Amino acid sequence: MRSTFTVTYILMVVAQMLLTNYFHFTTLCMVTILPMMVLCIPTKVDTPWAMAIAFATGLAVDFFAEGALGLNALSLIPVAFVRKGLINMIFGSEPFEHKENISARKYGFTRVSFAVILVTTLFLAIYITADCAGTRPLWFMASKLGISLLASYLVSALIVNLLSYDDRR
Amino acid sequence: MPKERPLASRIINLAVFILLEAAALLMLSNNSTLQKLWIARISHGFMAKTWGASQSVRNYFSLKRQNDELALENESLRESLRSYQLAAKESDPSSLPVLRDNGFKYIPATIIKSGTNSQHNYLILDKGSEDGVVENSGIVTSKGVIGIVDAVSKHYSFAISFLNKELNISARIDTSGAVGPLAWDGMRTDEGVLREIPLQFKYDPGDTVYTSGYSAIFPPDIPLGVAGEAKVINGATNEIRVKLFQDHSALKYVTIIENTRIREIEEIEGMDSKVKEGKR
Repeated sequence: MRSTFTVTYILMVVAQMLLTNYFHFTTLCMVTILPMMVLCIPTKVDTPWAMAIAFATGLAVDFFAEGALGLNALSLIPVAFVRKGLINMIFGSEPFEHKENISARKYGFTRVSFAVILVTTLFLAIYITADCAGTRPLWFMASKLGISLLASYLVSALIVNLLSYDDRR
Repeated sequence: MPKERPLASRIINLAVFILLEAAALLMLSNNSTLQKLWIARISHGFMAKTWGASQSVRNYFSLKRQNDELALENESLRESLRSYQLAAKESDPSSLPVLRDNGFKYIPATIIKSGTNSQHNYLILDKGSEDGVVENSGIVTSKGVIGIVDAVSKHYSFAISFLNKELNISARIDTSGAVGPLAWDGMRTDEGVLREIPLQFKYDPGDTVYTSGYSAIFPPDIPLGVAGEAKVINGATNEIRVKLFQDHSALKYVTIIENTRIREIEEIEGMDSKVKEGKR
């Protein structure tokens, strides 16, 4: 089970690298599945380890894809930092008590979607702010955030079940 | 959620978060000029605000000390000015016609307790006999008369405030030269009443009122306030309202004035009474 998750996770990192390198539609849109991936890290993994995984993931994407080194890592660590609190807020303490992962099958697609939207918004807000570095107007950043959030959510929602499987299945 | 050692766990989480974010920021700063400038601008802004705030706090808490130092420096400068004016007067008697060595000694002091709520207010100053303060010394500011020292201990002085119905100051209206006792009106902390001004002395509202110099306590020409409306008392004298320059409700730093020649004045007053008694 663990190895399945690890392999899937690594494959998704590679997918994110491809998305970052080859899917440029407009400067107002970027597609990211990294926040959803960090959200789906098993609940038994403690926050410091989750942050370390997020840091390594972000760094790998930064290194192999075009972009400033550290940008994805900078934006992804806060997602890992708030992950447990967010899961507890949206799904309750059950995933921690049963040491199970969040899954759309058990907790419902709406709640999983809501969690994905929240973490993606957090990631994009930091990413776009740091990427623009005070050189772009607010309307541009807001537009990019809105469009990217929509695109990223749609992609994340399609593949979230690959990572958020039900342990008891 | 893990329930064991929540505080330690939170501290560890926060420490790891800060460490990793700092590492990411460092990498970002080293690999991109744009982000480097942006991070530098944010960090400089943050540092400037932090230092500015801490400096403001430090300044606020050092205000009292700064005020004390300024009061001392002010008094020292006044003393220097007096000696220069005196030297100028001695070298050229025609210059500075109103200047003279008036025989007054000046001691800066701080009010440590004062009242404005009763009809008989008093002050306590932080200077006493060890600082050279003697009884019956005047208390002034650059804006007027504050009171008279009534009793002195080693380190403190007790003074009758101008806001005391029993205290009268000999005052003069600038244009007419008319002299009368100025006292508190008993109501407002910035108003007084100048009494016993003969009707033949004309004045205009807005004329400045000064100390007359007729008492042995206050030197002449200390500005006190401006004359306002008047009313005739018993058909014989004017009673003029005076808007004081000094608002006594906001007072902290004062100067104690000691007349160094008061003994000489008292002696000559004593001689005068003896002569009168001898004539009888």
